[in-house]
This record gives sequence, C-alpha cells and structure tokens, in this order.
Amino acid sequence: MEKTILIGGAAGLGSTVTSHLIGKVFCSLGYYVFNYRDYPSLIRGGHNFNILKVSSNPVYSHEYHYDFILALDQKTIDIHQKDLKKGGLIFGTKETEPIVQKLQGPKILANDVLVGLLFKHFGVALDVILTATEKVFDQNADLIKKAVAEGYRSGSQKEKLKISKPKYFISGTEAIGIGAVAAGLDIYLAYPMTPASPLLHFLAKRQLENNILVFQPENEIAVINAALGASFAGAKAMVGTSGGGFALMAEGLSLAAMTELPLVVYLGQRPAPATGLATHTGQGDLKFALNAGHGEFLRVVLSPGDAQEAIIRTQEAFYLSHKYRVPVILLSDKHLAESNYTFDEINKASLAAGRFILANPPQDYQSYEITPNGVSPRVVPGQGPIVRANSYEHNNYGHTIEDGVWAVKMQDKRFKKLDFLKKEINKLNPASLYGKGRNLLISYGSTKGAIVDALPQMRGFRFLQISYLKPLPAEIILKEIKKSGKVILIENGVKGSLADVIKEETGLAIKHKILKYDGRPFTPDFLIDKLKKI
Amino acid sequence: MKPEELGTKEENTWCPGCPNFGILNSAKEALSELANEEKLSVKNIALVTGIGCHGKIYDYLDLNGFNGLHGRVLPVCLGMKLGNPNLTVIGFGGDGDTFDEGVSHFVHACRYNADITMMVHTNQVFALTTGQANAVTEKGFVDGSTPLGQGENPINSLVLALEMGATFVARGYALQGPHLKILMKKAIAHKGFSFIDILQPCIVYHKHAMPYLNKNVYKIAETHNISDFNQALAKAREWDYSYEKDSPVPVGVFYQTSRPIFESQWPQLKTPWHTIDKKTAWSKITREFL
Repeated sequence: MEKTILIGGAAGLGSTVTSHLIGKVFCSLGYYVFNYRDYPSLIRGGHNFNILKVSSNPVYSHEYHYDFILALDQKTIDIHQKDLKKGGLIFGTKETEPIVQKLQGPKILANDVLVGLLFKHFGVALDVILTATEKVFDQNADLIKKAVAEGYRSGSQKEKLKISKPKYFISGTEAIGIGAVAAGLDIYLAYPMTPASPLLHFLAKRQLENNILVFQPENEIAVINAALGASFAGAKAMVGTSGGGFALMAEGLSLAAMTELPLVVYLGQRPAPATGLATHTGQGDLKFALNAGHGEFLRVVLSPGDAQEAIIRTQEAFYLSHKYRVPVILLSDKHLAESNYTFDEINKASLAAGRFILANPPQDYQSYEITPNGVSPRVVPGQGPIVRANSYEHNNYGHTIEDGVWAVKMQDKRFKKLDFLKKEINKLNPASLYGKGRNLLISYGSTKGAIVDALPQMRGFRFLQISYLKPLPAEIILKEIKKSGKVILIENGVKGSLADVIKEETGLAIKHKILKYDGRPFTPDFLIDKLKKI
Repeated sequence: MKPEELGTKEENTWCPGCPNFGILNSAKEALSELANEEKLSVKNIALVTGIGCHGKIYDYLDLNGFNGLHGRVLPVCLGMKLGNPNLTVIGFGGDGDTFDEGVSHFVHACRYNADITMMVHTNQVFALTTGQANAVTEKGFVDGSTPLGQGENPINSLVLALEMGATFVARGYALQGPHLKILMKKAIAHKGFSFIDILQPCIVYHKHAMPYLNKNVYKIAETHNISDFNQALAKAREWDYSYEKDSPVPVGVFYQTSRPIFESQWPQLKTPWHTIDKKTAWSKITREFL
C-alpha cells in the first residue's frame, strides 16, 4: 500500500495538527508515514499544507502527486487539484460544512470531519481513530470526537487496511530533544528563530519531568555567553538557533574554543542571505558552520540525515564536546527539523553520558594543564581548587599572558586534540554507504530521505552520506570517489558547498551537482529526473 | 582569612596611581570579611570580567574566574547562576563594556533579578583602547574618535538600573576604599540583582574627573529612605555625569527592595547540576512517539 495525502488550508485552520493526527493513526496501524510541512511566515491566512506519504514499506520523503486532497478551504483545491492522481479523491468544505453547522461548533472542527471521512474510506475502526484523537487533543476532546464520528458516518469504505505492529512517529526536532536528554542535557538556552524554535518548545514543555532547565534570554549573544557561564559552572549546556542567530553567536563560539568549555550548538538551517525564506529549507550554512568565529580553532560539525540519526548524533555531540572540551555544531535544517519520520523502533547510542569532571581534583589544579592529547582534566567552581576560564591567551593556570612562548604552547595544545578526535570519530560511522553501483551520489543532512527513496528506482548508483563535516572523513570519501564513474553532489543550496569542502580536504573536484535552492526539499521524482540528464 | 590572601602573584599592569587599585583592595577586604563572617564560602565565589582596564582584576584575585568577552559579563553571570545556584557570582564590568557593547544585557539583568552582583568601573572612557568616549562620557568630550566633541548626553546608569527594576542600586568612589568595601559587602549580601556604579576616574584619558570628584563626592545621609523609589530616583539625578559646573555627587546605597529572584522560577534548580547523576528512562521519554 502506498498513498499520498495532502491536507491544506489557511494558517490557523489546523492542517499541521491534523496531518500529525492522521500520521499517528496510520503509524498505530503499522504503516510508515513521512510528513512534510510547507508553510509561509504568517500566523493567520495564507496557504499551509502538509503532505503525508503513507506506505507499508519504510518511507523517508514526500511527492507532489496525491491520492487524497483534504481541503480546509477552497484555495487548497484550486492550488493542488492539478496534482491529484487519477482516481484520487478530494474531501473539502462541501463535505465538512454541513456537519460543522449541525454540530454548531467552531470552523476548526472541519479538520476532524476530514479525519473521520478519510479513515472511513480505509475501513479503520472508529474507536481506533477516537483513541488517537484523545491522545492529540487532551482538552475539548468531546466535540472533536463528535466531529470525527459524524465525518466517519458520512463517508463510505472503499479500501481495507492490513494491520501490523505499531510504529514510532517522530520529527527531527523531537529526536534532537530526546537525544539531548539521553546525553544528560541540563540547560537549554535559545532565542526564537525558525526552524530551531520547535526544539525550544519541545524541551521547555518537558523540563520538569526530565529535570532540565530551559530559558530564553534577551538575544543570541546572551544565549551563547550564558551557556558558557553554565558550562563553566558544570552544567551540560546546549543552545539552538538558525543562521541569523548563529551569526550573532560567532564571537561566543570563538570564546568557547578559547576557554575550552564544552558547548553543543544546534544550528537549524534555512535559506539565506539575511532573513531569507524564514519557514523553508536550505543547506547554505555549511561553510559558515565550518568557519564561523574569529581565529583558528578546533570544532566538530556533524549532521544527521533523519530523526533516528538525529538522536544518535545529538548524543555524540554532547559526548565529544565534553570529552574533548571543544564546541560541537549539530547541523540540521528545516526539512529535518519539521518533518515526521516513522521507525519500527527508536534507539539511543550506547555512549557514556558522563560529565568528564574530575571527582577528586588536586588543590594545585591547572585549568589549562598541557597533556599528551591536549585535553586538560576538567574541574568546576565549588569543588575546591581555583578554576579559571580566560578569553585572553593564558598560561596553564588560566592567567593572562602576553609572551609568545605561552601563546604557541596554548595554540598547539588546543590543536593537539585533532588527531585524537579523528580517531574517535572514525569509530562513529562518519560516512555511510547505501546501494550498489559504479556511480556515486554524495550528500549530507536531510537530503538523505529523498536520495534513499530514489535509489531503488535508479540503476548503477550508490549513495555516500557524510555525517561528520568536521573533522571530515577524507580517506573514506577519497576511496569512494576514486572507485566511481560519475560522481554527483546533491545539495539544497545555490553553489554546492560540500563539493568545495571535499576538494579542500581531498584535492578531488566534483563536476556534477544537483542543486535546489527554492527553499523546498528534494523529492525522489525530482532527483531521478535530474539524474537522467547527467 | 586576610585580604591579602585573596591576591595573586601576577604582575599588575594598571597605570601607577590608577583608582582601580582601590577597587581591588576594597574587593579583597569585602570578600575576606564576608568569608570571616561566614556569609560566603570562598571556594564558591566565581568572578566574571569583561574586556577593558577593569577586566585585569581577573588576574589579581585568587578566586574562580571567567574573563569573558567585551560587553558580555552579565550573560556569563546569569549562566553561572543557572549552572550552579550555590555560587556567589560577582561581575566586574567597564562602563563602555556594560553600557555600550553590553547595554541590552544590563537592561535585562535588572529585569531578571538573578542573585548576582555587578560592579561597574566608571571611568567615562574606553581607556585600554587609548581614551575614546563611551556611553557614560560627558557631552563635549574631545578625543581621538570625537575630535568635534562627544555629541550626546551620557547614560545615567543609576537611573537606568532603577527604572529597569534592579533591587539594589548603589554608587561608590574608588578613592573611598572603606566606604566602597561596605557597599560591596551589602551588594553581595543582597538577594537579587545588585548594581554598584564605582566611580573610577581615569588618570590618563579623563584627567579632569578626579579633582572634580574629590571636591564634589559626598556620602548619602542616613535620613535617605532606601526603600523609597522616588527618593532614590531623585538622588540618582543629582549628578548627570557632566563636569560643566560643580554639582554634588552622592555615593552610598540609593535603593534596596526585595522581589523573587530569577532562579526561583525553576523548581528544578536546587543543586549544582554537576552533582546530579542523570539516568535516562528511555522507554518513558519515547512513549509519546508510539
């Protein structure tokens, strides 16, 4: 079974919540669902839509051809009718309005009538839908359930669904949230910016049950500096933002490197320059993530390709940042953050969530002790010894210095960590290979979904997903490129930055690029069409 | 504990005769006395400094310290307090640091009312970058960046702090050490955001300030009601940080009040995070996705 369902309407009419409810019901019946969300930057009006791809097999992407259009307004039908598949169905205001009027409820009940109609079509038992509805709407569920039931009664069954083991339905944002909790997050600080704000909401809502603290300071500069203060004090701290906010954090990122305080930065990309396309997706900040901040310093940049990977990579971000005392940037984008993925199980990594703080520090503690791997043992204020963090160049005790000898010692100390980091990262699957074939597709991040879904439909292509962008697994990339025929970069950006990064580290140029920079993610159809032309 | 035990062996690079030495001495005395009175634990003190002449105090106090970025003292203080509520967090900032680069943080720190102390070294110039005007410099001041004369009136930081909700507002004079020490002790003991504007006349780039202040500084009378906001505001407006004509410059506590501290909004913020051994109940946190 494979169905694509579009639900659309003006902002505020409920398409996002309803798409989530529909997805949850299909997942509870054992189906795989991918939910793509498309919306402009406004709160009421405009046109929002979600596309749900439902399948009996794993699915990680959407398409623009629909078996069902669920319309909360006429505009949805006007815009999307042309993409209705042959034999496809439209449920719209014609079906919902009489029921909403009969119930004398608010217009928003149209969503629930549509849910009833849709699942009646598939012959799903009413109580299954009502249970899922209750889970999603804990308040005012009575009237909503009535609307679902009325919609259900007014529809007719045309298909039958096979039921199997329930699946997990989770967004990239939620995955990063639980990954952070699993890694032992203490404090999350963020200033609102799409597409990172949902993580702020997710963690804030669950702060008491998870014993974490969430706060929104006055701006991104305060966010990163406060996070470093918290890190100095011994808390596991994470900040989140998008490109514009990350730009404001650049000086703080350099401070994190100089003070060698652990810090995880969640960077959810969206198209830029400047405000760009605020609610859409893009991968234009790769080079910025790799290079932001003044001076030369070590950092780790890693990027998950789906929600399950997001859990694991978030844990790795905390692990590496605390073990090596380096800033780690978790690079995501709107497409990963705001799409829902389905998995049979969701797993965490078996990494230690330790704090890497000395239990019994010596009284003559050196905050910046020079060690063979460059990592100074960490102590926090209150434990006893004097602990220092200094943005000015410093000696082993963290006192300010001006002389060149100490400056060289400290620069070398900080970079000494690189070899050890590389070895550690090589054990963490820094790049993954999918499929078989002479030709090679290379990409990173959220593009994975459309590529792995397209792969079975293409002959002769394999896919190299790069998950660590810094340090880059150059040997693996070099080896794979050398044994390939055509090598093609796929990126949601204007120039294909990853090709430049690969060239810088391997010396190899990638000639072919499939780029998309309309703010919308790739689909398998789009990729297959473009690949035919190469 | 003696005040000198809080010193370090680092070479002091302030100009000879700089009033910053007075601030350093008062800080050592205030902190050692508070420790002797068992009002704080020295190992739990954490200092935060910005960048500028004031920031060098980081190297001269043998205490936990974070020498951060220019203008960002207060966010670091706030984060430390969220990271470990048991710490006695004390920020030292410059006036350019606090009221130019970092003014938004100051405004919000007054609103938040975290239990931290912020001491601003007011020398009315960016001294370490050779004397440019800053947000507290008087109108008409001529320097390398304002050869035509500083065009704007200075920010009255006391008025700003009062209006933005600081719960302890004081002014001290770096050359009146014993009095400054008392103010520091009160500020650190105060539960909430404490602000001390410390007049620290620069002897190189703002030479006219010291003789003026020596002539005009006076201690606020005992009759001043520190819980009266309007009295505090009127007192804060007595001197506008200018030097055109002689005007009394009050020092002392202007205002003190009490309201719930920032940290109290999180019931989960009770112990230092690093002392908590976190265990993840994976099946519990993933249940909502099934």
